[in-house]
Amino acid sequence: MPASHTSSESPTPQQAAFLERAIEQYGKATYNFAYRLTRNEADARDLTQEAFIRIYRAWRSFKPGTSFLSWVYRIVTNLHRDELRRRKVRYQEEIPNDNQPQEFGVGGRLAVQPIEEYVEGYLSEPLAKALEELSPEQREIVLLADVEDCSYQEIGDIVGCSVGTVRSRLHRARGQLRKLVNRYMKSTS
Amino acid sequence: MNEIHPNIEELVDYMHGELSPERDAAVHAHLASCSSCSQMRDSEVSLTELLRAHANAEERDLPPSVIAGIRNAVARPMRPAWSPLHLLLRPAVAVGAAAAVAAIVYFGNPAWHAGPPLTRIEAAYYFDNHTALNATTPFSHEPAMPVELTSDSSAGEQPGNEPR
Repeated sequence: MPASHTSSESPTPQQAAFLERAIEQYGKATYNFAYRLTRNEADARDLTQEAFIRIYRAWRSFKPGTSFLSWVYRIVTNLHRDELRRRKVRYQEEIPNDNQPQEFGVGGRLAVQPIEEYVEGYLSEPLAKALEELSPEQREIVLLADVEDCSYQEIGDIVGCSVGTVRSRLHRARGQLRKLVNRYMKSTS
Repeated sequence: MNEIHPNIEELVDYMHGELSPERDAAVHAHLASCSSCSQMRDSEVSLTELLRAHANAEERDLPPSVIAGIRNAVARPMRPAWSPLHLLLRPAVAVGAAAAVAAIVYFGNPAWHAGPPLTRIEAAYYFDNHTALNATTPFSHEPAMPVELTSDSSAGEQPGNEPR
């Protein structure tokens, strides 16, 4: 039953509680996913905010027993695509210097693992550049498969395509990513 | 030993646990005994590890301003479904709408803008007479009189125009 909150009525306590729990449990993951998709702090903030507003309004349409995070990612992905369509121009802006991870929140960054130090020190820039060069569709698939660890079926549900399409897009995207990383690493060394 | 080497796509699917159980077992067995394929697998695994490490290194908390923005947005009452009617009250829209209504009323009522009233006669009667007229003046393109056709037989009952 698509029962969006479409009138001026006040939110029910259930609806408000649903929103608060969703933000608490999935807010950070959603924000990070949005950031990885957009590669832009301001866009990630807008995308996350809009996604949770939609979740709030359509809270009854969530089917218990299905993956809530997949639903959220689907909303974020669709919003991102809509935004890209609207702009129809180059949408990525340089991340301002004052948008370093440690400036937000009390927790700051996670504990840095050795491989993360290595990535940050040597591979972060080539990888970031390579990710930016992927098409939005390729980036979505790579992030969902390799960072979010979603199954092909979940990815298909999120981005709205078949498992076969997910598979072929992922293979192409990874091949492209490999080439780009190698190229950027050679150019920086 | 399984001699069928998996291609790179299969290795990617294997890494993501997306092969069928039979093929997954075959690839697994093959990787244990084939160094070139296991090197290729390691290379794919390292790409995934790099992506995850990069994502973790970039990970950040949800800014409190986003949470505040969500709460503010949902606290504002949404515009009711009939709210587009408010648009009609805006001067620019209202003037245009009034002009459109006036035009519809004016052009929709023929009595306000038409020429001399047409004589209403029954269609069958007109065609019968038109055939007769064409028989006498076959090259005339002018109608005998301005007419408006109607299928209503009562419309044609005018003095001198009774249907035969």
